[in-house]
Amino acid sequence: MRKVILLLVAVSTLIFAPSVLAQEKIIDVRQEMADNLTLVKTAVKNNDWTAAQNSFDKAKDTWQNEVKPLLIEDEKTEKRFSEYFGRMDEVGEGLNNLALLLASKKEAEIESKVNEIIWGISHHPRGFEVGPPKYSVWDWVFGLGIGLGWCVFAIFFGLYLRKSYYRRYAKQSGI
Amino acid sequence: MPSDFIIIGLYLALMFTAGIFFSRNIKSTADYFLAARSAPWFWIMGAVWATNIGFLHGYLAHGGAAYEWGLIQANFEWFQGPFGYVLTGLFFIAFYWRAGIFTVPHFLETRYGSGIRVIYSIGWLIFFIITIAAELYLGGMFLKNILHIPFWPTVFVLTAVVGTYTLLGGLGAAIMMEFVQFVIMMVGTMPLVFILLNMVGGFEGLKDVLLTQWNISPQYFSVLPDNHHPYGPGPWIILGQCFVVTIGWCAGHQSMVQRNLGARSLYDSKLGYVVAGLPKTLGAFLYIVPMVAAPIIFAQRGIFVEKADAAYGKLILNLLPAGMLGLFIAGLVSAGLSSISGVLNSSSTIVIKDIYERFIVKGKADHHYFVAGRVATFGIIVASLLLVSIVAKSPLIMWLEQTLLAILLGPFMAILILAIFWRRTNTPGSLIGYLVGSAFAIYYQQVLGQRVFFKISWWSFVVALAVTVVASLLTKRPKPEKVEGLTWESDFHARVGEITEQRAVNNGTKVTEMPEIKVTIPPWYLNLKYWATGILLAQLALLFFFG
Repeated sequence: MRKVILLLVAVSTLIFAPSVLAQEKIIDVRQEMADNLTLVKTAVKNNDWTAAQNSFDKAKDTWQNEVKPLLIEDEKTEKRFSEYFGRMDEVGEGLNNLALLLASKKEAEIESKVNEIIWGISHHPRGFEVGPPKYSVWDWVFGLGIGLGWCVFAIFFGLYLRKSYYRRYAKQSGI
Repeated sequence: MPSDFIIIGLYLALMFTAGIFFSRNIKSTADYFLAARSAPWFWIMGAVWATNIGFLHGYLAHGGAAYEWGLIQANFEWFQGPFGYVLTGLFFIAFYWRAGIFTVPHFLETRYGSGIRVIYSIGWLIFFIITIAAELYLGGMFLKNILHIPFWPTVFVLTAVVGTYTLLGGLGAAIMMEFVQFVIMMVGTMPLVFILLNMVGGFEGLKDVLLTQWNISPQYFSVLPDNHHPYGPGPWIILGQCFVVTIGWCAGHQSMVQRNLGARSLYDSKLGYVVAGLPKTLGAFLYIVPMVAAPIIFAQRGIFVEKADAAYGKLILNLLPAGMLGLFIAGLVSAGLSSISGVLNSSSTIVIKDIYERFIVKGKADHHYFVAGRVATFGIIVASLLLVSIVAKSPLIMWLEQTLLAILLGPFMAILILAIFWRRTNTPGSLIGYLVGSAFAIYYQQVLGQRVFFKISWWSFVVALAVTVVASLLTKRPKPEKVEGLTWESDFHARVGEITEQRAVNNGTKVTEMPEIKVTIPPWYLNLKYWATGILLAQLALLFFFG
C-alpha cells in the first residue's frame, strides 16, 4: 500500500510539477519586468538618465528573453497565457516608444508610457471580455418569475407560519 | 514602514493577551463549545459576520473575484444579507435551540438519525480543515507581499495567536475576540472605498471611465447579469444562490450556527443573526466596490497585478500612507483570524461532539470531553498547517472545496426544510434523499461538466427534495415523540418546553446556571421585525440601483 501511495505521489508530481512551475515562472518574470520599469520612472524623477536607461534595458531584456519565449511556447501548446500573448504586439510597441522617449529625454511622457506597458503585462479582469447583456424573455420569466417569485413566496410563507405559530402559542399558553 | 509594523505587532499582542484573559472560567463542554450560553445579540452579530468574512470568503478571494468579474461579486453580500441571515434568524434558528444541540449534524441526528450525522459531519470537517489551511496560506502570502516578511514564520505567528485563544477559551473567547475584530475591520478598512471613489470621481465617474472611455460591457456593473454570463448567470444567482446556497450556508455552516447557539437567549440569537445582515451588506463597500474601481488605479499608476488574488494587497500597498496601512492590515488580519477561530472552534466541536463522544468514547465525565476538545483543537491546527503547503501549490484544493460545498449545501437544504416543515419526513427518506442528492451533485459536476456552482446546488437540492419525499412516503411514518418540538406542526403546548429542557439536559447543552428568563417587550430599536424589514428593503434598493 505504501509503495502504491509513493508511486501515486511521484506520478502526480511528474504530471503537475511542470505546469505549476511554468505558471509561477510567468508571474516571476513579469514581476521582474514591472519592477525594472518602475525603477525607470523613479530614476527619471531623480533626473538620473543613466540609471533609467539601465533599468529599461533590463526590462526589455526580460521581455525579449524570458516573457516572450514563455508566451510563444505556451500558445503553441496549452494556451494558458493567451491573455498576455494577445497583448504582445502592444507591449513590444510600447517598449520601442519608451526607448525613443528615453533617448529624447521627454520626461513628461515617460511615466504614462511606462504605466501603459506595465498595465499591458498585468492581469486584466476577465469580466472586461464579457459581451453586452442579452436578456431574453426566458431570463425574465425564469429569473424574475420563478426565482424572485420563489423568494417572495418563501418570505410570505415564512411570515404566515410565524404568525400562525404565535397565534397558536399564545392560545395554548393562555396569554 | 516601522509604524505599520508597530501597529500590527501591537494588534497581535493585544489579540493574544485578550484571548488568554477571556479564556478564564472555562470549565465544561457547554462553556467551551457554547460559551455558557451567555453572549448578547451584538456580540452574536459581530461574531457571525466576522466569522463569515475572512481572507478567503472576503477581502482577498472575494475581492479578487470582484476585480476579475466586476460588481456581480456583490451578490454574495447583497443576497446573503436578506435571504441567508434574515431568513435563518427568523425561521430556522429557533429549531436548533429547541432541539438542545451543540452542532448542526447533532440536529440532523435528533430529527433523523445517526447515519446522516456522520456523513454530514465528515463532509464539513474536511471542508473546515481545507478552509483553515487556505486562510493561513492567503494570510501568509498577503503579509509576505505587503510587508516583505518570510512566509512560514508569518503563518506560525498567525496560527499561534489564533490557536492560543481558541484552544484555551473555546467559543466564548472566540466570540468576544470576533466582536473586537469586527469593529477593527469596519473602522480599519472602510476608508478605502471613500479614498478610491474620490480618486475616480465617484461611482458615476467610475462607470464613465470603464463604460465610456474603456468601452467595457455594462455587465461589469451588473449584480444580476444575463443568463449567458460565464461566472454567474443572473437567474441562477437568484434561484441557486438566494434560496439554496446562502440559506444552506447560514443554517448549515457549523461556525455560523454555533455562534447563535452561544447567545444568552433565543431572542438574542435571532436578533444577532438578523442584524448581522447589515454589516454583511456593507461588506460590498469594504472589498467589492473598491476592487471594481481598482483596474483604473492600476492602469493610471502603473501598478503591476500578477493575478486577481493579489490585486487587493497591491491596491492598499500603493494607495495608503504609512500608519494607515498598518491599521488597514490589522483590520485584514482581524478578518483572517476571526474566520480561522470560528472554523477551528467548530471543527473541534464536530470532532468531539459528533464523532468522538457519539461513536468512539461514550459515557465519560464532561471534563474528559472538555480536555478532548482542546486536544482536538490542537490536532486540527497541526493538520491545517500540514495542508498549507499543499494548498499553496494545488488547484485541487479549491476544486475540492467547491465540490464539497455543492455536495453539502443543496441536499442539506432539502432535508432541513423537510425536517422542519413536513412532519412525515423520516430517517430512511432523508438518508436516501441526501445520498442521492450528493451523488447527483458529483455526477452533474464531474460527468456532465457543469461548472456553475449555483446550478449544481439548485439541481442537487431539487433531486434530494424529490427523492426524500418519495422515499419517506414509501417507508414508515416517524414516531410522534421523535419529531415533537422540531417541526412547525408541533404541539406548542407547555410540553415543548419540557421536551426542550430534557433534550438540553441529555445533550449537555444546558448550562448549570441558567439566567432567569424574563419575557419583556423589546424597545423598538431592537425589534426583530423592524430590523428584518429594514434590511430586506435595503437589499431591494441596492438591487434596484445596481441590478
